[in-house]
Amino acid sequence: MTFIAEQIVKVFPGVRALDRATLRLEPGTIHALLGENGAGKSTLIKVVTGVYQPDGGRLLSTAEDGSLTELSFGGPLDAQRAGIGVVHQERNLVPAFSVAENIALQAVPKRRGFVDQEAMRGLARRCLDRLDVHLDVDRPVSSLSVAQMQLVEIAKALAVDSKVLLLDEPTASLTGDEAEALYTVVGALRDQGHSVVLVTHKLEEVFAVADTMTVLRDGRSVAEAQPLAEHTRDDVVTLMVGRAHADLQLDSRSVDTTTAPALELENVSTAQGHHNISLHVRRGEILGLYGLVGAGRSELARAVLGLDAITGGTVRISGEPVRISSVGQALQRHRLGYVTENRKEEGVFLDQTIARNVSVTVWRRLARLGLVRGNDERALVEQYREQLGMRISGPTQLAGQLSGGNQQKVSLAKWLAADCDILVIDEPTVGIDVRTKAAFHELIVGLADAGIAILLISSDLPEMITLADRIAVMSEYRIVGELDNDHRYERTSHAVIRMIHAEIAS
Amino acid sequence: MNVPMQQSDATVPTDELATESAQRPPRGLPFWANPRLGLLAVIVVLVLVFSSLRSSFLNTDLTLVPMQQDLSVFLVVGLAQLAVLSLGHMNLAVPRMAAISAFAMGWCYQHLSVPLWLGLVAGLIVGAAVGALAGWIISATGVNSFVVTLALDFALVGLVSLLYSHIGDGVAFAAHPAGMNTLRNDTFSDYCAGNVCGPPVPLIVPIALLAAVLVALLFRLSRVGREILMTGSNARAARLSGIPVSRRVVQAHALSGTLAALAGFLLAINSGAFSADIGNSFLLPSFLGPVLGGTLLSGGAVSVLGTIFGAALTEVIRTGLNLLNFSVQDLNIYIGLVLLVALSLDRVRHVLAERRGSRA
Repeated sequence: MTFIAEQIVKVFPGVRALDRATLRLEPGTIHALLGENGAGKSTLIKVVTGVYQPDGGRLLSTAEDGSLTELSFGGPLDAQRAGIGVVHQERNLVPAFSVAENIALQAVPKRRGFVDQEAMRGLARRCLDRLDVHLDVDRPVSSLSVAQMQLVEIAKALAVDSKVLLLDEPTASLTGDEAEALYTVVGALRDQGHSVVLVTHKLEEVFAVADTMTVLRDGRSVAEAQPLAEHTRDDVVTLMVGRAHADLQLDSRSVDTTTAPALELENVSTAQGHHNISLHVRRGEILGLYGLVGAGRSELARAVLGLDAITGGTVRISGEPVRISSVGQALQRHRLGYVTENRKEEGVFLDQTIARNVSVTVWRRLARLGLVRGNDERALVEQYREQLGMRISGPTQLAGQLSGGNQQKVSLAKWLAADCDILVIDEPTVGIDVRTKAAFHELIVGLADAGIAILLISSDLPEMITLADRIAVMSEYRIVGELDNDHRYERTSHAVIRMIHAEIAS
Repeated sequence: MNVPMQQSDATVPTDELATESAQRPPRGLPFWANPRLGLLAVIVVLVLVFSSLRSSFLNTDLTLVPMQQDLSVFLVVGLAQLAVLSLGHMNLAVPRMAAISAFAMGWCYQHLSVPLWLGLVAGLIVGAAVGALAGWIISATGVNSFVVTLALDFALVGLVSLLYSHIGDGVAFAAHPAGMNTLRNDTFSDYCAGNVCGPPVPLIVPIALLAAVLVALLFRLSRVGREILMTGSNARAARLSGIPVSRRVVQAHALSGTLAALAGFLLAINSGAFSADIGNSFLLPSFLGPVLGGTLLSGGAVSVLGTIFGAALTEVIRTGLNLLNFSVQDLNIYIGLVLLVALSLDRVRHVLAERRGSRA
């Protein structure tokens, strides 16, 4: 079966997430779906797996005799019936159930209304055998390693007879050996005639295992089902990043190194498992903290802000050792602000006005006799509306009505209003379209130029290389290296990825 | 701070995709979707209906004065619940917080012979303390406020009756501090300057209104009140914005306890005694006022004006049906039904308004 998602359009309020994206999957191939964060990969996956219904375009499947069938998915179950399986980044297994029960979850063999235990085990074993994986099917899933769970997920997709298998960032939390083992399995699936879609940021892996690729940029497919052999890494990066992105060329900033760093961590360990973390960032400097999802970056920021316990080492602000116990204290005593990663859950108050969202950090300062005047708040909003280019109808608009990029600006504005000297900015451009992203990058650089010390957390390597003066690389809750960034994608990204791999291998 | 960025929109790589939605005005709802106006209309209609069926509905001494007295109590009861609804919490112990505070007040009058105002202050402090305790348990344990206050109410039921039987005078205190009867019986029309007398408004009404104004100011303008609302809107975001979340939870519950105590005091004034049954009738009305008035159970937004209208609607229905000779049981059935209908209509109106808004 050839599966085609043709000219798919998907619109969310304020954002055209997919704009005529096409994905063509041939049987017996490993197909890489590439694109930056926010390019529309996850939206496309959700359309293909029936989670979202497209606003335009169509889903087709071709039978061996060449006849076309148009598919319409009312929900994920329809997609599953059509033979499309997905292994998500977040695991969808029931930890307390056995391997067999999990694999057979959507295809439980029954006899007289009860579960046929033997048939279920048989099905699970057959699926695992096809992957050439040997696992005791009676073990509870909770006792498995992350890599084994992933294999169980793939077996689960085979149990419902999936012809197309989507793997979303399958190696994000695997070691090098485990990743290799996984790709052996994926290769076996290809040889059995499945088409496997690999969604990943790791270009090395793509070039090592994939046959064809589709590149999404800004909701469009800028390369459709092209053989990877015809492309170099540079081509692919250019396709992903596009011209607009490369425009922001920065010279290395000169940073005053004579004064004490604005924020310094020396041999810091945390209750979360960080070990001997040493970092520093000076005023006017952007220190990038890069790492894969789960490397412990946001957790480190949270510990520094007093949300988790620091168990060893010293945190210094302007040279003075400090103990921070809450975000409020960080803000009031040390002018340290934290622009959070999940803007909808943690960054903005969706059901409150923009005025309140922006001024929440400064009510203490605005209040006279304990009372806040609305005029002061509105003035604040007007100031940042201009400065940050916020597209809002007015200070009383609810934050939940804004597009993602504008919500992010609101979330940033509240810390600018608080007059922070140090800003920790966590994944600022996730899920934001490319143009707003570029505007955000300019903003962040502008803040550093104005003398703010910025610790930028991101798993978007191009973004890191565009913005950071220095990049510290984190893997498994340790700093595995630090380098001066010369803003050249090719060289720096190689160096960063080498650091992570060296750590994983050791 | 001076951040040299983005001199004009022309140099900004604009977020064109978001432009169309941003340039539209926010989806404002039409005026008739405002729940407060809807409530006011319903109140007016009901008053017209009841007064045409029974002319005594507009009789000052028989109906209007007692209505205002009841309304004062239930307004403050509603405010007590509103104080924690702001957090998205509930306080099911409003009745017993009122009861134990009323006990404290009665005991002070009986055994310490304190003046009226001093006993009130003592009772408010007791209410605040019990409320703060509830808030502290909730924020320290993370247990749902529903469960904590339900358990607390249960414990206080026992404690209050124990207190009355052991160190009280049975089921009520006999003491009548100076001013209590004046506060109970007089209206402003009893005070005249020359030929000009005041309106027929009971003396306790300004007390309730003052409480309402203070609560409204707190949530609208004060830092603490706004931070309580932000905590109710999104506690995680509040903590990450530097708001001392646990402290705000304790403060909101302490406010709830204080207002419950004030409601207990007003009811004792109205009924003429500080007795063990004070607060028994408070639980349902405490939700009716705020919820009818548009305060969200999910937290983050409150409406004091709506609470006044909501309490007034309940009181009009109660009094009207009473005058039409409905028995107490019938009364409860009809009040329950009317409120269900009112809430459903409110929801329908809101959905209609949203649809219209999204088409615009």
